[in-house]
Parts: sequence; structure tokens; C-alpha cells
Amino acid sequence: MVRLAQGFLLLFLGFALFYPLFRILALGTGFAQALENPYYLGRYLFSLRYGLLSALLTLALALPLAFLFRRRFPFREVLLALSTLPFVLPTPVVALGFLALLGPRGLLGVDLYGTEALLLLAAVFYNLGLALRILLPVALRLEGPLGAARVLGATPVRALLRVGLPLLLPALGSAGLLVFLYAFSAFGVPLLLGGGRYATLEVEVYTLLAYRLAFPEASALMLLQVLTLGLAAFLYLRIPTYPLAPGGLLPSRRPWLLALGLGLLFLCLFAPLLALFLEVSPRALVQAWASQDFTPLPLALGNSLRFTLLAFLLALPLGVAYGVAARRGGAWDLLGLFPLMVSPVALGLGYLLAYPSWRGSLGLLLLAYALLAYPLLARALLPALRSLPSSLLEAARVLGAGPYRAFLRVELPLLLPALRSGSALALAAILGEFGASLVLWRPEWTTLPLAVYERLGRPGEGPYREAVALAAVLALLSALLFYLLDRGRGRVG
Amino acid sequence: MVRALALLVFLALAWGQEVTVLTHESFSLDKGLIARFERETGLKLRFLKAGDAGETLNRAILTKGAPIADVLYGFDNTFLSRALEADILLPYRSPEVRNLKATLLLDPTFRALPVDYGWVSLNYDRAYFKDRPLPKAPLDLARPEYARLLVVENPATSSPGLAFLMATVAHFGEDGYLDFWARLRDGGVRVAKGWSEAYYTHFSLYKGDRPLVVSYTTSPAAEVYYSEGKYKEPPTGNLFPELAFFQVEFVGILKGTRNLEGAKKVVDWLLSRPVQENIPTEMWVYPARKDAKLPEVFRFAPEPLGSVRLDPKVVAQNRERWIEEWTKVVLQGQSPEAVRRARR
Repeated sequence: MVRLAQGFLLLFLGFALFYPLFRILALGTGFAQALENPYYLGRYLFSLRYGLLSALLTLALALPLAFLFRRRFPFREVLLALSTLPFVLPTPVVALGFLALLGPRGLLGVDLYGTEALLLLAAVFYNLGLALRILLPVALRLEGPLGAARVLGATPVRALLRVGLPLLLPALGSAGLLVFLYAFSAFGVPLLLGGGRYATLEVEVYTLLAYRLAFPEASALMLLQVLTLGLAAFLYLRIPTYPLAPGGLLPSRRPWLLALGLGLLFLCLFAPLLALFLEVSPRALVQAWASQDFTPLPLALGNSLRFTLLAFLLALPLGVAYGVAARRGGAWDLLGLFPLMVSPVALGLGYLLAYPSWRGSLGLLLLAYALLAYPLLARALLPALRSLPSSLLEAARVLGAGPYRAFLRVELPLLLPALRSGSALALAAILGEFGASLVLWRPEWTTLPLAVYERLGRPGEGPYREAVALAAVLALLSALLFYLLDRGRGRVG
Repeated sequence: MVRALALLVFLALAWGQEVTVLTHESFSLDKGLIARFERETGLKLRFLKAGDAGETLNRAILTKGAPIADVLYGFDNTFLSRALEADILLPYRSPEVRNLKATLLLDPTFRALPVDYGWVSLNYDRAYFKDRPLPKAPLDLARPEYARLLVVENPATSSPGLAFLMATVAHFGEDGYLDFWARLRDGGVRVAKGWSEAYYTHFSLYKGDRPLVVSYTTSPAAEVYYSEGKYKEPPTGNLFPELAFFQVEFVGILKGTRNLEGAKKVVDWLLSRPVQENIPTEMWVYPARKDAKLPEVFRFAPEPLGSVRLDPKVVAQNRERWIEEWTKVVLQGQSPEAVRRARR
């Protein structure tokens, strides 16, 4: 079972990641020179700092939120669905929202453009939902241990610190690592909101590869990224795990107050989205629906749904296989983070070199998206998978079930909440990402994000309004997807 | 069995009748035109969009051994020498060549044929400058009261940004351009990631606070075209023709194409009158054909006089160094002297 999962994964990664990447790295020699350049070093240090600060900030906010979301209160699912929205939005649109609030002519009257504070705010905005979704499935299982600690005489605070936190550590590590990696290799946000001064290493890799074909330097920087990943993963793997019995949602003493408080918090945090929705005019929607100059809305919508679903069908088994393979941790755990570290530009070029006859066919494109999305699914799955008590599986085996049957009939149902969370993340990533660096295009294949970019590439009020309207549709669509997928009340069975 | 074989043969034939065009992300043509071309020739067109003009060409060069497309469209005069030196294109003297403007035929070997041309240029917000004085000469931009009003694109991540940088090199010279940019930096110029961000989030016509932006000479006309009658006159104008940068976009057939006849048909089609007359309002550039009629709205996009051109060879030799020096001065705050010293 584990062997099969590992084999499947290796085969996929070899084809979709290692071989194309090898083709790129093979073009580069002479790393030493590149690493001696103080300019690159500065970029690297900034990336590190940005990654670390973003992870710390996001976790500091996500941890208390995860505890609050264990309770049942009105609009709980709606808020959860909201938290992952930024994932699907094209970066220019997010920048629009942020600048509408905090830009030079922003609603709030504070101009944060070009400050590091704004960059960190954007990182939290982007990654909070991600952290929340990874913490929540484990947080829901804490009731038993916490209750036991209280019965044994611990104060609530002490129970939380001495029992709750250590049990949450693997999930915290998982979420923190992901946020770190995303911020560390962020491309659009620092550039958009930092005015060019705050470019991460990823931007350098992009210009070196895409514009200058400077393979030695680009390869050196990519190796630097991978080494950083290795270090981060090494730290993460030190974290011990404990098995936990599944739990459900808790009742809330003042459900409406909780809903109100969290609602206000989300309102502040996701205000950039609101700023975007306030910009939407019904007329622009009507125009986008039957656009003469650009891809009409229904077509783009259909394409987005179709392609996302196809890529997801590949990402789902990959994510589950990876969860099974990496359950024991070790090198496998590291392997699954690789896709997040590789710059999409490098991957795109590697594909062209490795499989020219495929000509960026749809299949290759779907492969790339599955590759980018499955780690998200797996990261959400792993903490839950590792905290499953092994006694359940053993009981099933003793009672005569084979390994597959035991997994499918006993473990998988218990993992459903985590699987749903992970699927929501993966879907969001694919849905918003359909505009990467390698696009096979026919007029009738344009997806929603591409349709937004198409309009943002022309000067004029009409295209601009339509772009905003389409971005809002994209946001709503992903919210709807989450809502449908994620209504899992954290219950089992 | 026979039927299956017949199907396979049919599929193989259909597969052979496909032409892939490698192009940049701004490519766009009327769907009806594409459909009609496919109907008339029996070819299936595919477009592979690979970033901007520079990236697109680099992908073609990188995959020289096994080309990923049959036709390459959208590399411009600043990349022309790179394309020709890399030897990735086949010569093809299309019958349409005699209908093209002679000044655009920059490649005597006919490996690269001009499709359209245009200018990157400064735009200003008319409403803002209604009762305020416009800068009178390019050098005035470096004065703090104007530098604060300007947003440019990063030349490392945007092609209009790169074009504007080259315009400043051509205008102020190898040494002068760094001093100009250093003064812009000190005066508070803003650098955006790409054209969309510069235009829609920083330009004062939209969300921003900057009434001067690096865009194209056709942008004011596009503003009128897309405003659904709201504007009779453009809300923006072009500034400083001497800083406008001339760009020609070329098409060529990639060496190693598996469908040479099809590729030739696509090139002829791109140069044909219907497509040439559709290009202006699709991509906001001027058609290369002599007899192509410009749409009415292009009266707001007059061609600038005295714009700069750089010798493609000079560009090829120095492009990367300019970007690097610009980054050091504008983004890292180094002094122009230090950057010039590092050249030696």
C-alpha cells in the first residue's frame, strides 16, 4: 500500500518535476560567481526575512482563530469560505483592492504603499485561510485531551499551554512551513505593493531565466532556494506527533457574539476584497457577459470550471498518495514540498525543453497544475493522518480487512474533514493559477483569470470595469466552491 | 479494424494540418477572422502564449533543436538581432511583402517580416494638467515637482518599461541617462511591476495619484474607443515625442517546422488586409500594410515626430547591462558614478 503510493508519486514527480528541472539545471555551470554577488545575497536575505515574518504573523492570528472556529456559531462556514478567497484572485486585482484602501488615495487615508508593513499585511491576507484550514482539523480533535487535563486539575490556560499546543505543533509546523515557502518565493505581491524595491529571489530567477537566459546564475539561485527548503523541512521534521481521537464541533455559549466578533475581524482583514466588490457595476457585468472585444464571461466561466476539475482529478489521488507515502515523515515529507519551491518559470521552460513534441498541450498544462496543487491538499491531510490512532487500523486488520480495504473503509472516512479542507485549497490554487507562465491558448480556451488579464492589458474604462467585475465573479465562484465542499461540520461518519 | 485504421489515418492527417503560433500575452485577433481562416484553409490554429515579447523569443531560442511552434510572432526590433543571430528562422519572401511599408523591412534576408509597429510613450492625465503647467522638456521630468507625478514600469519585468529605459539612453546618452534616473529616483518616481499595474493602480485617471505614466501613443485613442461614447475627446494625451520609443513587431517561420506550407499561409494571412485592419483595435498598434485603412478612432493616435530609434546591434550588446545599471541606481540607490566606475 505505502509502496504503491510511493511508486506512483515518484513516477509522477520524475516526469512532471525532476526531469524538466534537470534539463534547466544542466544548462547552468559556475555557481560560485553568482553566489558571490552581494546583490543576490541581499535579495536572498530579504526573501528569508519576508518568509519568516509572514509565517509568524499568520500563525499568531490563525492559532486563536482555529480555537474559536471549533465552536458552532452562525455564518461559521461562510467566514471559513471567505478566508481562502485571496488564493484565487489575480495579483493585479488584489493590488487594486489594497491600494483602494491603503494606497496614496486610499479610503483609509493612510498611504502604506511601498512599506514593508503593507507587504506583511498582504501576506497575512493571502495565507490566513491556508493556515486556518490546516490547523482546524487538528484543533477539532483537542477536546478529549484538553478535557482530560481539566479533569486532572489543570487551569484552562495551563491545559492549553501544556496539552493543546504540543498536540497542535505538527499542524502549526505544517502551516508555518507552507506560509514561509509561499512568502519566501512570492513573486507578485512584493513587486506590486513594494514598488520594485522589495523583490524576492523568485523575481531574480524569473528575470534571469525569462529575459536573459542566464542559466548559471538562475541555477545557482534555484539551488539556494532548494537548500533553504531543505533547512526549513529539517526543522519541521523534528516535531513529534501524537495520535488523537476524532472530535466534533463544540457548542458555543454566545454564538451571536462570536459571529459578530469574528465577522468584524474578517471585515478588517478582507477589506481589500470589499473594496473590490464595491467597484463592481452591474452594467460592466452585463457587458462582460456578451463582450465583443474580449472573451465573454460564460465561456471563461465554463473553461475555468472544466480545467480546474480536470486538474483536480489528478491532484486528488496525488495528494492522498503523498499523504500515505509521507505518513512516517522523513525524506518523503521533503519531497512533497519541492513543487512549491520551483519557480513556475523554470518549470515552464523545463517542460518545453523536456517534452517539445507535446507543445504545451492541455495534458501537460494539467500536469503542471496538479503538481502545484497537490502539496496543498497533502499538507492539510498530513497532520490529520498522523494523529489517527493506529489502533483503529489494527482493529480493522485483525477483523480480516486487507490493507486497502482498511484504509478506504476505516481511515479515509475519518480523514474526510481534512480531505475537504485540503481539496478546497487545491481547487482554489488551480482556479486562480490558470494564467501561469506557459499558456496554450485558443480564443475559446480562455479561463477566468486569463479573461481578467486580457482586459487589464488594454487602456480604457470599459476593459477596466469588466476586469473588476470578472475578478469579483472569480472570487464568488471560489467562495461557492468552498462553501459546497467545506460544509463538513468536522463530524465523522 | 479497418474503421479504426481509417480513423487513425484521419487523425494523423488532421494532426498534420495544425499550425502553432508562438506569441506574447497581448496577442489578440477577432475570433471570426480566425474561424474564417481555419474554414478556408482547413488548418487548425493554435497559439502558445509565453509571457511578453522578450520571453517569447527566448523560448523559441531555447527550444531551437525541437521547436515548440511553427510560427513566431511578436518579437520586436530591440530583439531582432538576437533572433537573427540565434538562427531560428527560415527566410520567406511572402507575396504580401510588396504591400508593406518599406521603412519597416528591417531584415533584408526576409526571415523576419514586419506585421505592425507602434510607440511606447509618456501619457498625461488631461484633467490634472488642465490648469497646471506640463513639463516642457524631458529633463524637466527629473525636477522633484514632476518626478513625484510619474510612474514607470520596471524594465526587468515589463517591455514598455524596457522601451522607456532605452528611450532615455538614446536621448540622454550612455552617461547622462543614469544621472537622469538618479534624479528621478530622488524626486520620488514610482516603479510598477508591469503596464497594467502602472496604468490601472497608479495612474490618476484610475485609482492612482500619478498623472504621468509610461504607456503607448495609442492609449488615448483606446480610452475613447472603450468608453462607449463617454469620451468624445481622449482624457489623456501624449507627451514628448523625443522620448517615444519606436517598436516594430515581426513574424517569422521557425526552423524545424513540421508544416512549412501551413506556416507560410499563416504568415500571408497575418499580412493580409482583413487581419491588418483588425489589428489596430485588437492590439492597439499601427498596421504594416500600406493600404490598410486605419479605424476612425486612430485620429486620436497621431504618429509622433522625431521619436528615438536605437541600432538593434547596440541594443543587443547592451540591453542586460542597462537593466542591471538601472536596477542599481533606481532600486538600490547606488550613485551613478559608482555604477559607471563598475563598468571598467
